[in-house]
Amino acid sequence: MAAIGCLTALGDASATHRALLNGECALRPTPVLGRDGGDLVPMALCPDRSLDETAPPNWLAALRPLAAAIPGEGWGGLRRPVFITSSNFGVGSLYAFRRTGDPQHLQYGTPSTCVEWLRGELGWGPNITTFSHACVSAHLGLLQAARALHAGLADEALVFSFDFLSPFVAGGFHSLKILNADFPAPYQDRPAGSIGLGDGAGFAVLTRDRGDFAILGQSLHNEMHHFTANQSDGAGFAACLAGLSVVAAGRHPWLKGHGTGTLEAGRLEAQAFAKAFPEAPLVSWKGSLGHTLGSCGVVELALAVEALRTGRTPGTIGSRTPGFSDAVAFEAFDNTGFDSALCASNAFGGAHAALLLTHA
Amino acid sequence: MPELFIQDLRTDDAGAEESAVTRERLKDVFPKLASRRMTQLGLVLGSTLLPHSPGENDTLIYASEYAETRALEGYLDSFPSASPTLFQTSIHPSAVQQALIGRQQPVREIFPLAGRAHLVVRALQTALLATSPRSLLCGGEERGTWLLERGTASTRTFGFTLALARQGTGSIGCIQFLDTEANAGGLTLPDFFDALHTRAALDVIAAPGVRLVLQWS
Repeated sequence: MAAIGCLTALGDASATHRALLNGECALRPTPVLGRDGGDLVPMALCPDRSLDETAPPNWLAALRPLAAAIPGEGWGGLRRPVFITSSNFGVGSLYAFRRTGDPQHLQYGTPSTCVEWLRGELGWGPNITTFSHACVSAHLGLLQAARALHAGLADEALVFSFDFLSPFVAGGFHSLKILNADFPAPYQDRPAGSIGLGDGAGFAVLTRDRGDFAILGQSLHNEMHHFTANQSDGAGFAACLAGLSVVAAGRHPWLKGHGTGTLEAGRLEAQAFAKAFPEAPLVSWKGSLGHTLGSCGVVELALAVEALRTGRTPGTIGSRTPGFSDAVAFEAFDNTGFDSALCASNAFGGAHAALLLTHA
Repeated sequence: MPELFIQDLRTDDAGAEESAVTRERLKDVFPKLASRRMTQLGLVLGSTLLPHSPGENDTLIYASEYAETRALEGYLDSFPSASPTLFQTSIHPSAVQQALIGRQQPVREIFPLAGRAHLVVRALQTALLATSPRSLLCGGEERGTWLLERGTASTRTFGFTLALARQGTGSIGCIQFLDTEANAGGLTLPDFFDALHTRAALDVIAAPGVRLVLQWS
């Protein structure tokens, strides 16, 4: 990995990592439909950004500094492909159109129009592949970028991932009754658990031969059991981790789980990790940052890199004992005794993704 | 020269067919209770995907520019009391999930793509890089209603699934990728579908630097 960066409600990767180490929580009670009101639910928006969509989308201003931090030129050229991933792209603009009738919003509303607009704004060429697989989207970009490099089809590859909240997505998650309307009471106090949502974006520049950190292996698995529930025996979580068993053999990683705050998925994930890596501490950062949806794979990878770089892994903020397993680390810890980090994400439809990160 | 061999192909050209007609036409493909809840795109796409008997070790690639248009329209219309069912149904790659959840069929790798002019090439390149012996590349759209009036939805409903391999034995066609100096070009999903559906040959600049040749045995 030649370069990596991210953006959250707490700032860039370095600022977010510091804030997490300090135990800061970015989630704030926010009306679920923005200016249209509704219940207060936990959301972590980038500073000075409104939940309400504008035309063009107000999140472009937040993305520009992140894009400017991407090293190199010629992205989107024949040998420098870009893999753009998101769950929502500009779909909040369709909500804005339906609410206001202003046709300007339509030009950002579909994945293809949104990406084409973004490509123009950021000055990238047309060699762009767009993946959208809900909250494992970023992992698909990372895997495909790695394959393009290994196949000799690219000199370098850029993975760029983003998801910014809108009434469209907040309203959807609230309709599923999993946003914590009792915030800041923690998830344990609710019968099925609950989650917060957050703005997020990130990038990773992958190469074959340079950088301080490397992705040793990646794994995907799709249960296809239920749209919003996992197999009750945790087989999907285990199958995804099994895909990393060869590269993880003999390794001593710490674990960054998906850990949104829903009780059943959290329990299954913690159990699968405890079985596959019984000695490894497990953390989640979504209790502070919110769930950054399709971008979470790259956002949390950038934070894991920062943790390896500094030797300090932030703990599981916004939660408290008892955890789903004894391995859940609530406090920050020194990670210098570990040789890698395993980062996992999950999504609707029982989709799972995981990767193993280490110093190069 | 990179190439992919077509082992099998299923297509469904529903055109302007109403959803209820599609449901009736394809109801026997799916479990009875499942088909009642499926979208038109889920039905059409699933009817071309399931005959290939997708397995856990197939790589599944799904290409759609607009995806679940009707569910999206319905979800937007449901505000301020947002519909949870329409929300989850509107999320990419719902159509594939509808088909495979009905069969309880896990798949290790699924790559759902979006895009327009270069969508077909990117989907095929994803298949080219797959590590499994077989890739199932499916694609499709469903005709919109009020989003269509605004030019933000497909004008027609269609679906297809290609079974692709890097070995040519028993193939019914092949897709070749050739380098070109041309720095403009495109191949949309509907145009690709039409070529597949009619078994027509193609030789086009499908993206900058990429000439795509589709031939049938």
